[in-house]
Amino acid sequence: MNEKEANIDLLFRNGLKDFEVLPPPGVCENILSAVKIKSRPYIFLKIAAAITVLVTLSFLTYRWSREVSFEPSAPVIALNVPVSLPVLYNPIDNPHYLLKGKFNPVNNSSGILTVTDNQASIREEMETTDSPGQILNIQETKGLYLTKNEITNSLILLPLNTFAVNSANVKYPDLQYLPETIITRPEKRWSIAAMASPTYYSTINSGSDQLTSQLMSTEEPLFSYSGGVAFSYKISKRFSIQSGLYYSSLGQKVDGIYSFSGFQKYISSKGGPNFEVPTTSGTVYTSNPDVFLAAYGNGKVLTAYTNDVFDPQKASLQYISNSLTQNLSYLELPVILRYKIIDKTIGINLIGGLSYNLLVNNSAYAMKDGTKYPVGDTKGLNPLALSSSLGMGMEYNLSGKLSLNLEPTFRYYLNPFSVTTGSFIHPYSFGIFSGVSYKF
Amino acid sequence: MSEIKKIIKGCLTGNRRDQELLYRRHAAKLYAVCLQYSGNDEEARDILQEGFIKIFENLEHYKNEGSFEGWMRRITVNTALEKFRSRHNLYRVDDIDTIQEQDAEPDNQDYAGLEANDLLEIIRELPTKYRMVFNLYAIEGYSHREISKMVNITEGTSKSNLSRARVILQRRVGSYTGIKKKVANE
Repeated sequence: MNEKEANIDLLFRNGLKDFEVLPPPGVCENILSAVKIKSRPYIFLKIAAAITVLVTLSFLTYRWSREVSFEPSAPVIALNVPVSLPVLYNPIDNPHYLLKGKFNPVNNSSGILTVTDNQASIREEMETTDSPGQILNIQETKGLYLTKNEITNSLILLPLNTFAVNSANVKYPDLQYLPETIITRPEKRWSIAAMASPTYYSTINSGSDQLTSQLMSTEEPLFSYSGGVAFSYKISKRFSIQSGLYYSSLGQKVDGIYSFSGFQKYISSKGGPNFEVPTTSGTVYTSNPDVFLAAYGNGKVLTAYTNDVFDPQKASLQYISNSLTQNLSYLELPVILRYKIIDKTIGINLIGGLSYNLLVNNSAYAMKDGTKYPVGDTKGLNPLALSSSLGMGMEYNLSGKLSLNLEPTFRYYLNPFSVTTGSFIHPYSFGIFSGVSYKF
Repeated sequence: MSEIKKIIKGCLTGNRRDQELLYRRHAAKLYAVCLQYSGNDEEARDILQEGFIKIFENLEHYKNEGSFEGWMRRITVNTALEKFRSRHNLYRVDDIDTIQEQDAEPDNQDYAGLEANDLLEIIRELPTKYRMVFNLYAIEGYSHREISKMVNITEGTSKSNLSRARVILQRRVGSYTGIKKKVANE
């Protein structure tokens, strides 16, 4: 480099150093209105996750402490009560059933009545009747309490939750005349549920390539929905397995893609797509020849019809929108395991499992005043996606057969939707499913 | 915590006041950069807008390493480059020999009296590819190897473009200086 060349470089470098020119008015407003606040969804998710964990832990602790306090170490309680003494039956629960089942008085050599069941089964074996009596001197022992009726001088064994027993509604059956046949109610192991949920969908980029970061910066997830029918089979008292068929629709908005209609009359070539838009979910290819796409310098639209070759404003094309919406629909086949933490009127379940998601529809469109203008579709999508689910279900039993369900569920897709970008983008979603289930 | 760090923190939480403050502090300097890289004011405005949007959206990636102003300038220059790349088919420099120069000889490197406005005007009159290469090499300090990758040309083309840009600039600087002296003498 000769001195003259160095001088001209220095002249411009020093002359333009710290040079300032006031930008035209209105630029600031344009920028600030376009800047997205990214942090809010993450804060929302963090709060939701923290609440879910706290609530789960609280219920687990509560359940554990209940079991430690009340579960008898052995389900046999021996009372020193003569067999001939009357036994009080709970008038509250199941007034029309007389179930002998597990309540087995044993006439042994010492003349002691042995009761072999826990609180729940004793409750089932109660019946109502009218008889005078007075419950006094309540003594609690391992889920049952023993009372003494001073009028008849009899001992009465009751479950803990029968404090409200009206002493007028008791009778004293002679155990020797209880029927031999056992009346049993078949357990309802199957249930069917209809569930639906609005879903928040987003992606996690575990890679660090610049292209993906740039693509993600202009993409905005949309609130989507999911719903379907689920069948559940009760394996044991606490575990049940669930499957079914769900339909879920996910979407995202790609900003900075300007779309116009009326382009068809200017096209000279026919055949392949006119425009390509790379996204983290795959590349959108236009199939509608009437649509013109432009990105105005951000390089997100790949086309032979650049702004220099064809100006949509000069050609008076009709402006549609400045963003593109991608929509993906999946049929979902879940295999879910449920663990019942609390089994009461309001039940709590832990839910976890895997789902196979079959891609059934994908489309890309531009929106104007609530009207969809079809643009094309996304290529390079995985036809089958595997997702994992974790959630907590709340169940409110309306009756023995019907219940209302509410299930906040977090879903993480184990394989990416698209294989084209070469980066590790894993979608995830969060939804609160609600619905009704019927047991049979 | 320094003031700029407070402003950045505010911007990250979505505080509009801090975002506006950041813009007001740095927009004039960055707009000058945009003008330097663009052929017309409209394009410069677009670069500034897109550049600032990227700055706000990528603030979380700024690691407090190096100058914040330098980081913003790099984003702005990259935005200008993206715009250039998207339009590169339009910019042809083959016909550079047809460009008519008013004064054939520079004014003996006497650059007195030239102001930043004049320099900006001169640089913006360069054909786009020459302007890009000259800005990246002489102002930003990139090597020809780096420029060849950024602008998608060969190293030889980069050197050739720089050389031609310098010749044009020297001639035009000479013209400007001569005209200015003439005006001053009158």
